[in-house]
Amino acid sequence: MTIIQVALTAGLVFIGLYMYVRLRSSIVDILLIFLFMAGGIFLVLFPDYSNKLAHWFGVTRGADLIFYLSILFFLFLILKLYSRIRRLEQQLTEIVREKSIAEAEEKFTKN
Amino acid sequence: MNNPVFIIVPCYNEAVIIRQTINSLLDLGYTVVVIDDASTDNIQQELAGLSIFYIRHPVNLGQGAALQTGIDFVLKRDAAYIVSFDGDGQHDAKEIKGMVDILIDEKADIVFGSRFLTGASSDSSSLRKLLLYAGRYVNYLFTGILLSDAHNGFRAMNSKAAGAIRLKENRMTHASEFLLEVKRKGLRFAEYPVHIRYTNYSKKKGQSLFNSIRIFFDLVLNKIFE
Repeated sequence: MTIIQVALTAGLVFIGLYMYVRLRSSIVDILLIFLFMAGGIFLVLFPDYSNKLAHWFGVTRGADLIFYLSILFFLFLILKLYSRIRRLEQQLTEIVREKSIAEAEEKFTKN
Repeated sequence: MNNPVFIIVPCYNEAVIIRQTINSLLDLGYTVVVIDDASTDNIQQELAGLSIFYIRHPVNLGQGAALQTGIDFVLKRDAAYIVSFDGDGQHDAKEIKGMVDILIDEKADIVFGSRFLTGASSDSSSLRKLLLYAGRYVNYLFTGILLSDAHNGFRAMNSKAAGAIRLKENRMTHASEFLLEVKRKGLRFAEYPVHIRYTNYSKKKGQSLFNSIRIFFDLVLNKIFE
């Protein structure tokens, strides 16, 4: 086992455990996390399989295939996060607006 | 404060000029609503003693959000006509009447101020002109409405239009969002020539090239996520 394999495996195990502990998700989520981590560790330990998989997709190296897929995945993640931020911002705006108007109304009816 | 024409003045750190702007509106007898978007200067002291409605956002949300707060507020107070007016002193209060008259004659539900119509004047820089010219077509592309002035904070609308329009873009993209909403809700619109006074102060407070790029991307995202 090379150093990079140790580092990547340790990283994946750590992230998997962290998600398991912190997210306390449903069974499906835990299964998904487990599958992803197991798949990741498998490809790290047996890189030849990732090369085979890559060839099947028409990509030369396994590492390249994973790189391309992760770009897609992260873009998707950014969009998801962005739409969530937008929603949060709209909710915040509504709350601030209601509060500001209520405060103003109170002041004017008092005077 | 019982003129049915309500002037909404969103402002953020306009203490230097705000009193002058507000007085020009009060002199003409309008009902004035100032939305202070969490200014950090002494704008509250500057406004002290003026007969206006003052609403303050506890956190800075942006001009679009401030306008929407103003609209919500005045609709509760039975405003018949609602005008949005910049706090930085670049609009001329005397021009409100002409815009509102179009609404009173029921020729339109919303009137957009334009610095490029015949009869209007402004001494904008050529870069600003170019940006606004490009902005017209960007707006047209996104909203299907071609205005002569893409980004003018001076508008007048009747209560029907104000009730129908819902601004979700908190920042500067609301100018284009007005057009989107006009199109969506089937409102009748018109343009009216206005004069924009560019002072060193209003230029400093105004939109930069960087901001127009940001507005463009906000518009793209608005289209994707709406």
